[in-house]
Amino acid sequence: MPIDALQSEELVAQAALGPSPSRSLLRQAILDTAGAAGARVGLTWLLFLGFLAVFSPFLATSHPLLMKQHGHWSSAVLRNLTRADVLLLVATAAALLLAVTRRFAFVASLSILAAVEILAAIPVYVWVKPPENVVYQQYRDGMTDGKIEKAVFAPVPFSPNDRLRDQPDVRLKPPGRIHWLGTDTNGSDVLSNLMHASRIALSIGFIATALSVVIGVIVGGVMGYYAGTIDLVGMRLIEIIEAVPRLFLLISITAFIQKRNIYLMMAVIGLTSWTGYARFLRAEFFTLRKLDFVQAAVAAGLPRRSILFRHMLANGLTPILVSTTFGVASAILYESILSFLGLGLIDEASWGALLQQARAGGSGFIWWIATFPGLAIFLTVFSYNLVGESIRDALDPRLRKRN
Amino acid sequence: MLTYLIRRLLLMIPTLIGVTAVVFFVIALSPGGIGASLLSSEGTMRPEERRVREAYLKARYDLDKPLIVQYLKWFNKVTPVGVKPAGRGFPQSWKFGLKAPDLGESFSFHRPVMDLIGECLPITLLLECLSLPLIYLIAIWTGIRAARARGKFVDVGLGTILLALYSMPEIWAGVMMIGFLTNKVDYVHWFPSNGLHDVLADSMPFLPAWSSAGFERGWLLDMAWHLCLPIICLSYGSFAFLSRLQRGALLETLDQDYVRTARAKGLGERAVLYRHAFRNSLMPLITVAANILPGLIGGSVIVETIFGIQGMGKLTIDSVNARDRELLLSLTLIASLLQLVGNLVADLSYAVADPRVSFVD
Repeated sequence: MPIDALQSEELVAQAALGPSPSRSLLRQAILDTAGAAGARVGLTWLLFLGFLAVFSPFLATSHPLLMKQHGHWSSAVLRNLTRADVLLLVATAAALLLAVTRRFAFVASLSILAAVEILAAIPVYVWVKPPENVVYQQYRDGMTDGKIEKAVFAPVPFSPNDRLRDQPDVRLKPPGRIHWLGTDTNGSDVLSNLMHASRIALSIGFIATALSVVIGVIVGGVMGYYAGTIDLVGMRLIEIIEAVPRLFLLISITAFIQKRNIYLMMAVIGLTSWTGYARFLRAEFFTLRKLDFVQAAVAAGLPRRSILFRHMLANGLTPILVSTTFGVASAILYESILSFLGLGLIDEASWGALLQQARAGGSGFIWWIATFPGLAIFLTVFSYNLVGESIRDALDPRLRKRN
Repeated sequence: MLTYLIRRLLLMIPTLIGVTAVVFFVIALSPGGIGASLLSSEGTMRPEERRVREAYLKARYDLDKPLIVQYLKWFNKVTPVGVKPAGRGFPQSWKFGLKAPDLGESFSFHRPVMDLIGECLPITLLLECLSLPLIYLIAIWTGIRAARARGKFVDVGLGTILLALYSMPEIWAGVMMIGFLTNKVDYVHWFPSNGLHDVLADSMPFLPAWSSAGFERGWLLDMAWHLCLPIICLSYGSFAFLSRLQRGALLETLDQDYVRTARAKGLGERAVLYRHAFRNSLMPLITVAANILPGLIGGSVIVETIFGIQGMGKLTIDSVNARDRELLLSLTLIASLLQLVGNLVADLSYAVADPRVSFVD
């Protein structure tokens, strides 16, 4: 069980930073690269996951990418894209464009991205209407009886919810030529499930952490700035939330929610993990409050909003941003644990839920269902931790001074 | 010290009240509330059956009363100090005073919650009390190894492996261990897959013995054998984390002036390390003990579910699956209490390890 990410990483950071003895320059260089190599491996895996998260509707789907029917070509994939798929594609295109042009600063880019998404949401909502019931069998039948004359299929030609109910002998197939990573108890393709689940894992990780940072920064900032009664009440609240082991809290909340969807999961995970950030920022603001530049800002009559966000927050935010990497890792971990316990998303591909199937059904142990989803969770969490460590080392002034 | 202890213990009370209130209101305010959860778990029902069940649930959980009344009634039942019925007769008269705390009756087990917890808590505590020393011993040893080999291959390699261990999800490790190490058919059967005892454990002698039938492993060894995998699964994450912490702390201590002085007066490396640096490097490990304990409590949920051990964690999952409000609230209460006590113990041991820290105002 991971310990509260922020607190623990802080402690590691404090402990790990003793001044080092003089090393030879070469050894220092080698070690630095080794550290950076870890980060590079982690980033590569995360980029790959991000790619899967955006493009899995095209990479792993039972719908033909292109098919020729009655003499003309059409694309079943495009017709069956969900709204979330389209919005994600739009966001990716916009982000790539912004990154290539390099016209805008980071914050400006983020606001442009948000604006594009909001603008795109309306036409997407109006025009994108995927059929509610999908019969994957029609493509297989069409291919055999010749109704579909020609078709181009995806690299992994199975959708995660293509359960192949018509072919009972396909259930629990070990990895092979057709199903690269085998099939699960329902006869759906494991690789396809893994690819589609990467989107859920990444989005829950990102958004839950973003939510917890926002709540933590606001609560912690207000507590640290005003102190007194507000601080007292806030501290009690934090103590209460931290007194319940986090998994207990998550389990009790999710169990009583009837229709769990991805947004609820994000909210629940985010709402239970902000205390570390709040605690940290509160302590930071307590010291900042007394510093000259804040006093000067107050004396100059700047509005409180400006003092809080422009002057104080800018000084206390970096450590929080560094620890968000660990926050994302633990959010992904918690999502998979909840799914594993049967308290996750309903009827959606998820790594944890898939892992749980490895022992389900009384058919003993199914190694391919246990190995691959578990490996996916592990690699993702490991990557985030590797990247987080390198960022922390790079940003730490004590380390930088030494180099 | 005693004043500090009493103050900390008293401060636990409002926190625990807050904890139960938060969980209670989360359950009550979830869409449909507890009534809907219980109804839907029954599947389709005829209208009159449904009505009867609804009325029953209402009466049982006071669902027609305001939330705050529901909570206060539950709270009053749980506390050792509160309102209790006095005398017989009608109308009922009430008296305020000491009373026996009652955690209520479990909805799904049809047994008092107190009995259930009495059975499950020792098992979880056993798991935790066995893993905690194990975690610390291995972590301290590997941490020292890594710190002494600072910058060498051992250090970097150990660091990476430990980070990987720390990142490895317990759900995966547990499933893989059960799958590959307890599998009679396809793989090896080195460990039992399930529970804390063999089916025949009750008829075993307590200690291992050689008899005419050959070696008998006995009750104690049987239990140890069953405990191996759960304890490994429960402890490897925390151990990896602590080990990295110990390495960093020891490195920092080794750079202090007094260590240089010790070296300068010609002390051997072992004496410097174990007599001078070691004790001071323990401080961060003690501070995080407060974080390790809740980790273990949360981890016990996963480990007990995977290994089929009927402890607190398994009970929690059972109560959640049955939407058993009384049981879940009590379990949350106990888990929080354990955590708060853990925090307190960590603070106290901090004072023991570092004579400069004192809680006397």
